[in-house]
Amino acid sequence: MANEQQGAAPGRVIAGGESLHRWGMVIDIDLCTGCQACVIACQAENNIPINVEDYFVKHRVNQWIRIERYWEGEFPNVKARFIPVLCQHCGNAPCEPVCPVYATQHSTEGLNVQTYNRCVGTRYCGNNCPYTVRVFNWDAPQWPESLHAQLNPDVTVRTQGLIEKCSMCVHRINRAKREESRNGRPMADGDLQPACAQSCPTSAIIFGDWKDQNSRISRLAKGTRAYHMLEELGTEPTIVYLKKVDPNLSQHEATVSHKTAYRPLPVING
Amino acid sequence: MGLNLRRVLIVASIPGSLFAIAIFITLVAPRLLANTWHPAPKEPIAFDHSVHVQQVGLDCTFCHRNTATGGAIGGMTAGIPDVQQCMFCHSAVATSSVGAPGFKMDSAQAQAEIDKVRHAWQQQRAIDWERVHRLPDHVRFTHEPHIQAGFDCATCHGDVGSVGQVVQVRSLNMGDCVGCHRANAALTECATCHK
Repeated sequence: MANEQQGAAPGRVIAGGESLHRWGMVIDIDLCTGCQACVIACQAENNIPINVEDYFVKHRVNQWIRIERYWEGEFPNVKARFIPVLCQHCGNAPCEPVCPVYATQHSTEGLNVQTYNRCVGTRYCGNNCPYTVRVFNWDAPQWPESLHAQLNPDVTVRTQGLIEKCSMCVHRINRAKREESRNGRPMADGDLQPACAQSCPTSAIIFGDWKDQNSRISRLAKGTRAYHMLEELGTEPTIVYLKKVDPNLSQHEATVSHKTAYRPLPVING
Repeated sequence: MGLNLRRVLIVASIPGSLFAIAIFITLVAPRLLANTWHPAPKEPIAFDHSVHVQQVGLDCTFCHRNTATGGAIGGMTAGIPDVQQCMFCHSAVATSSVGAPGFKMDSAQAQAEIDKVRHAWQQQRAIDWERVHRLPDHVRFTHEPHIQAGFDCATCHGDVGSVGQVVQVRSLNMGDCVGCHRANAALTECATCHK
């Protein structure tokens, strides 16, 4: 850690220097079965209120990660496609400059962080997000009595009238860093997982560090299937998707079916 | 006429100023002290830190075990010791009036307070301590990195070891935290503290 070079007390983190990490994710669409385990895990981990039917009717569903479902083809050759969509933690985030109170900011580790107690609920950020992953709390959150003791103490319970979104389980990242300094050894790739990645039964969601050239995500993103969601917008997401492998497509179709499939990704660094 | 006008003005300003004072006391003053600065609460047992720290010579972390090590809750709170932990010592210390033999405290008052602990243990009942330091829900404070960075407990908590009743000595609001973080070149990013 940087503190050794700086000669500070053990465990102290020096601000201002270049950060050691740039967190990111690779989501393999080919492995996603649309089972929604990540959605439920996120719900439980991050104190997201239960979505009742009324929220769906009003289009006010609170989900930090959602599974988008697309149907392809005509009967009987119908295929369901699933894409897990969560906050892309854009390097050039459209949500950040529009916040009048600086409630959403970019951390030095590449996370787009939302500071709930600073948010005043103008919803500019939600309107400016091309991925529509920001959720406004129209109502005060409610849980059944039996779930009150289930709430995660590491995550704040958001109130009515503010925007919330995926934090990439920043509380787990902070906890891992504390364990790192306690154990005196750097965390290995795969030690740290957000709730969605941890719960994915097919390991379609992989979390890691872009600054580690040998991390799983760095190696996966070098492959030919890698692309950014809505890359043409120039938001520079930190999340890389791996496109579906379709055995029914011919080699020619596979090469042209996604325009970015064979274009190397822009180099991701701090 | 002039004198009358002045008198009228003075009399007329009294309700206004009273109203302003009332507003300050009811609305503004509690906000200034919001959530972070409470008067010392009345504890169910008159626990005396100075006896344990100064006379017995215990270290803070002897009882507040989660503080430095993280523990199950990762150093989120210093951890009020449970009754069992009190009984590690008090099953042998000052046991005269209840249960097993032991030496008796000099003061009947102290003996009565310790008997409360022993009664709680015998009834397998938790002691409802009143919390003194409480941060708002949107703050994630962990003791562990602060202890690792070499700070003394007294930096934030004051000299608890020499007082009987614990009171909050710092405001522990955001300016207090950020000021110290800046002075010590610690992280000031939002996600460091806000959750």
